[in-house]
Amino acid sequence: MYFDWVTWSIWLVGFIILIVWIFVPLKEFKQLIQQKRNEKN
Amino acid sequence: MAGIDYAIIALFMAFLFWAGSVFYRWVGDPDDFYLAGRQLTPFILAATITATNVNLYSFVGQAGVAYEHGISIIWQTWTGNMALVFAGLFVIPILRRLRVRTIPEFLEMRYNSVVRYMVGFLWIFRLSFWLGVVLYTAVIAAQTITGFESFTFWVILFSIITIIYTMLGGMWSVALTDSLQFVFMLAGALIVLPLVMSAVGWWPGLVEKLPALHLELVPKTGDYNWKFVLAIWIIGIQWACVDQGLLQRAFGGVNTKAVAKGLVLAGIVTTPFALLWNIPGLAAQVIKPGLENADQAIPYILSTYLPPVVLGFVFCGLLAAQMSTISSNLNAVATMFTNDIYGRIFNRQASKQDILKTARIMTIFTGIFMMGFTYLVPVLGGAVDAYLTIVSIMDMPLFVVAIFYGLLWKRTTWQGAVAGYLAGALAGGLARFGAGLDNNTSTFFSAGAALLICPIVTWITSGVNSEKVGKIWAMKSASEEEKGLSVVYNIIPQSIGGRIFLFTLFGGLALFLTGIFISAMDWPHAGYYCVAGMVIYFLSGLARLKFD
Repeated sequence: MYFDWVTWSIWLVGFIILIVWIFVPLKEFKQLIQQKRNEKN
Repeated sequence: MAGIDYAIIALFMAFLFWAGSVFYRWVGDPDDFYLAGRQLTPFILAATITATNVNLYSFVGQAGVAYEHGISIIWQTWTGNMALVFAGLFVIPILRRLRVRTIPEFLEMRYNSVVRYMVGFLWIFRLSFWLGVVLYTAVIAAQTITGFESFTFWVILFSIITIIYTMLGGMWSVALTDSLQFVFMLAGALIVLPLVMSAVGWWPGLVEKLPALHLELVPKTGDYNWKFVLAIWIIGIQWACVDQGLLQRAFGGVNTKAVAKGLVLAGIVTTPFALLWNIPGLAAQVIKPGLENADQAIPYILSTYLPPVVLGFVFCGLLAAQMSTISSNLNAVATMFTNDIYGRIFNRQASKQDILKTARIMTIFTGIFMMGFTYLVPVLGGAVDAYLTIVSIMDMPLFVVAIFYGLLWKRTTWQGAVAGYLAGALAGGLARFGAGLDNNTSTFFSAGAALLICPIVTWITSGVNSEKVGKIWAMKSASEEEKGLSVVYNIIPQSIGGRIFLFTLFGGLALFLTGIFISAMDWPHAGYYCVAGMVIYFLSGLARLKFD
């Protein structure tokens, strides 16, 4: 079976960015929400 | 599209409106509305800035050009990313330290209120036009994917959704849709890439079936040749330094160092991502050549290759992309109007609540302008051409007077700035519409006229306020407050390591420019020199942030 290194290398880089981009901003948004709640109280 | 896809979109929109109503409660004063309270952390900042750089325009307009002319359009994103790194390292930290909200506000600090009002008024129209371009791309995508072809229906639907959403949450709304957009669009692109590549016989199949010029990174000839790469690099720098939508996100950063980090990170991350919409654009040329409107290439690929449910999610990504770009620019116009015009001319005693109310009303009016401008885009030759036209005419002279002369030459007078801006805009407009020159050449005309006229008028006039200028120059170094908080960022690093990486950064830039010029001489593989220069530039920029 043919394995296309070009396509899958690009795909892998994109996939790593996606994973990082889901978890890090989520963590930072959670902290901001917590901060806003604390400000309210 | 299947029923399940429409259900996913309806749920997504309901979520956004719910989020907008939550943010509505967060927005207590104008800074919350304009700048998310200046609380954005580096990664959220990078996500929102990336979303400015990657939006529906990329997936529809840019991929459409890749479909029609080849891969060299990718330099629009890549040089934009290089510009983000440049602006993040050298320019925006200074503006962030001045705590301005808009470029016109900076112009008043640097020159006087005449420059501020003039640029403020002109830029409200310029941003409204850009909004029209973004809305147009969304309409094209929606028409092609759903098969429902009423242009006006989609214009009205998208406008109503985004106007309400932005009015509610301001910059907080922008930050959320930006983050969501990036995830949805990247996920969609990752699904599409292997599907289309397998359809064309993977990379070797693509290379074999495409016309040779389509894979030239920096071609000598064609519409998107080496001159285009050079022009778009210059345009990119001015975009990253003066674009209100982008700057407003950057000014939302929690401190100067976060701003620099966010911009550098955003530039680097988007670089490999650009391949994920340009390669499918190329593949579309093999799969479905001869599309009447090249902007339909990616929407066609999506509607043909994606299964139900996945298509629904990708459509949400497109919607979020369009909403985030429109929201940020609606927000930018509202900010400019209330900050630079309403609060300065119409109501100097305005309370915070008055300003907030006016910003929200202005959001509606700008939305109406946007709808009108959408109909002009096809007349100007589609999304990419329309965008490059306004940038070459309006943005280039602003960069010259605000950033180039404003931050580098203390002697520049306000009369020089006004004359330089007007001369540049006029020269660009005459070159494009009078002489019928292309956008690349018009850019050189507008930049050249501003570069020439501003110093000439400066030499024959006087009126530099040295106290004002001194205050701006002082912002090039870290403030005492930053030193106290251990978030020191100096434009020119103090350490040897920082200076070495700054040197290699400029070395990378020199290699990139060499690549462009040797392309003009038909040098083999010249495009690879450009790519190598760009990679060195990015790595050096990232490493420089580690030192100060």
